[in-house]
Amino acid sequence: MDAALPALADVATPDTAGVRVLVADDEDDIRALVGLAVRKAGCTVVGSVADGAAALDLARAELPDLAVLDVSMPGATGLEVCAALRADPATSRIGILLLSAGASLEDVAAGLAAGADAYLAKPFQVAGLIHQVRALTARQPA
Amino acid sequence: MTTVEAGTAVLGRPAPRRWGRLAAVLAGRGTVLERSLPSTVLFAVAASLLTTGTLPVANGELVLAALASAFLATLVARLVTRPAVAADVALVVPLVHLGAAGLLSAGTASAGVLFLALPPALTLISGPGRRGVLVAALGTAAVLLLPVLLASSTPAGALSGALLLGPLAVGLGGLGVNETARRLGGQAARIERLETERAVLLAQVQTRADELDLATRMLAARAQTMTSVIDAVTEQSIIGTDRDGIIRVWNPGAEKMLGLPRPEVVRKRSILEFHLPEELEAAAEEGESATGLAALVHAAQEHGSDVRDWTYVAADGQPRTVSVAITPRTDDQGSHAGWNFVGTDMTEARATERMKDQFVSLISHELRTPLTSILGYLELVLEDEDQPLTEEQRSYLTTVERNADRLLRLVGDLLFTAQVDAGHFTLKPEDVDLATVVRSAEESVRVTAAAAGVEIVVDVPEGALVLHGDAVRLGQACDNLVSNAVKFTPGGGRVTLSLRTAWQTADGEVSAEPRPDAAPVAQLAVSDTGIGIPSGEQGKLFTRFFRASTAQRNAVPGVGLGLAITKAITTAHGGMLDLVSSEGAGTTFTLTLPRPAA
Repeated sequence: MDAALPALADVATPDTAGVRVLVADDEDDIRALVGLAVRKAGCTVVGSVADGAAALDLARAELPDLAVLDVSMPGATGLEVCAALRADPATSRIGILLLSAGASLEDVAAGLAAGADAYLAKPFQVAGLIHQVRALTARQPA
Repeated sequence: MTTVEAGTAVLGRPAPRRWGRLAAVLAGRGTVLERSLPSTVLFAVAASLLTTGTLPVANGELVLAALASAFLATLVARLVTRPAVAADVALVVPLVHLGAAGLLSAGTASAGVLFLALPPALTLISGPGRRGVLVAALGTAAVLLLPVLLASSTPAGALSGALLLGPLAVGLGGLGVNETARRLGGQAARIERLETERAVLLAQVQTRADELDLATRMLAARAQTMTSVIDAVTEQSIIGTDRDGIIRVWNPGAEKMLGLPRPEVVRKRSILEFHLPEELEAAAEEGESATGLAALVHAAQEHGSDVRDWTYVAADGQPRTVSVAITPRTDDQGSHAGWNFVGTDMTEARATERMKDQFVSLISHELRTPLTSILGYLELVLEDEDQPLTEEQRSYLTTVERNADRLLRLVGDLLFTAQVDAGHFTLKPEDVDLATVVRSAEESVRVTAAAAGVEIVVDVPEGALVLHGDAVRLGQACDNLVSNAVKFTPGGGRVTLSLRTAWQTADGEVSAEPRPDAAPVAQLAVSDTGIGIPSGEQGKLFTRFFRASTAQRNAVPGVGLGLAITKAITTAHGGMLDLVSSEGAGTTFTLTLPRPAA
């Protein structure tokens, strides 16, 4: 998954102002934590939802630059949301970062196969999440 | 059995034996006594006729002499058994009888009595060789002459005619009879020979029949033993089919597992009726074989045997997960006769395994989620540059963070051992520099060791020591060994990490110098001067959740997963983990890993 990312040095001081991020996680505390990290990365949280179906609806309505999705969610799993976004030309360019408490090689492979740009295992370091968000959004031609 | 009985019936017919004996006597091949019997009987009849007066006595002395000599001769015949003299006696006895007939004829003055000469004459004639014929002719002449000489009452003309014609008739007739008797004798000899051969054959057939009977009974006993063993298996299904998959053997275990009694299955159903068609199709695709029976036995055919899980569908429609061992069966000629399917019902066991997997992954997920929040928010507080913490606050929160990390490692270890158990543990192999791994293991315990007053000595080669493995897992194994060593060594002690290249032979012997029959290995020894492990507990050390009594006595924290994980990682890399320890003196763990040939 590292190969999918630009080197951290390239995104040390990215211009992330105006970058819009969608956050989806069924755990309220983690959703809030991810929101904090996204804002610390200099981005705007355009939506924060607790289930997969709502995340998909909001992504289609808002067309954010990045969606940070938890894998295990009610409604639709992060993997299903990821696949649905990639299948629709209108949403296929949205950056996707998956978060999951399952950290085996199989889980990472499944996440990347579903079309995610990056995959982060829980528990993650907040600093690491901030770097990932910056790295993924700096790629966007904002 | 049927064949033998039929043979016995043909060969064992008693009739030809009796007729054969009679033919032999008629052909002059009986014993002397047997051949003298007819004339003896006739003499007895004549004696009784004389006694009753039916036959008149002309000269009592002659009659007495005739009867006495006749019976005496018969007595001699009875007594003679020696083959050497039997031939001579065989001539003498009928000759005496012939003379006795002449004497009796003279003694009774009755020509009719002369018919008594017929049996002995016949006996002589029918004897082997032509000598008997000559003796009979001369004897007959003597008999005809005897009454004349003794009585001289017969007219001379009639006498000379009888004297000429009698011996002539006896001679010529005798020659004919003798020839017939000779032929009869030949036939009787053949019959006798055939009879002997038949008896030998009969004995052979009887022996064979006995052997066959014994073999049949042994086979039946063996079959009975096999059947009773198979029938005693009630918890495993033993199913035997012919080459087409038609069921021939169905044990009580199969009855119990699949709910059908033997009579409803044997020769009536195919093994395929108990399998899921879709599973067979999937197997056919995987094994690139035809579907149906071919798919079922494909692997067994390729490798001689095959053990894997199949779904059996019981009579009530319930699917059973069964671990089935499939082997080909041969007949007594060694040619392929069918297939054996020995199955163990794993339905409950597999369900338990699945539940365990699900449980571990659920627990892991459920524990990681709150830990994510704890560690995440801790990080935010500790790293918040806008609101710096007091030293005291920082110290408290660092303690919280350290314990949260410990909890997280425990969750990781539990999940890892569960993966090893389930066989889901996979390596991510790449080139790993073991020297770097050892140095970083030392770095990670440096602070703890310093705090505990434990010295760490690192003895690692200058350059890199590269081998093929999973860097993360090897780091974990190394960390476990090093942190254990520090944990179990009291203050003032020393932990030595020494890494070297070596060569290992197939029987496990390791030498520092290259040897042609040895494979290159990397060896990491982690030695401590710690509390040691009692020798009685060393065997259990790599068992999950096992903690040495010394560890418990000294209240060294831990759950007993580290060494089990280290061992699993070592094994997965094709390596070995050994230990030498003495209680109170210290422990050395040696990790030996294969490395590529230079």
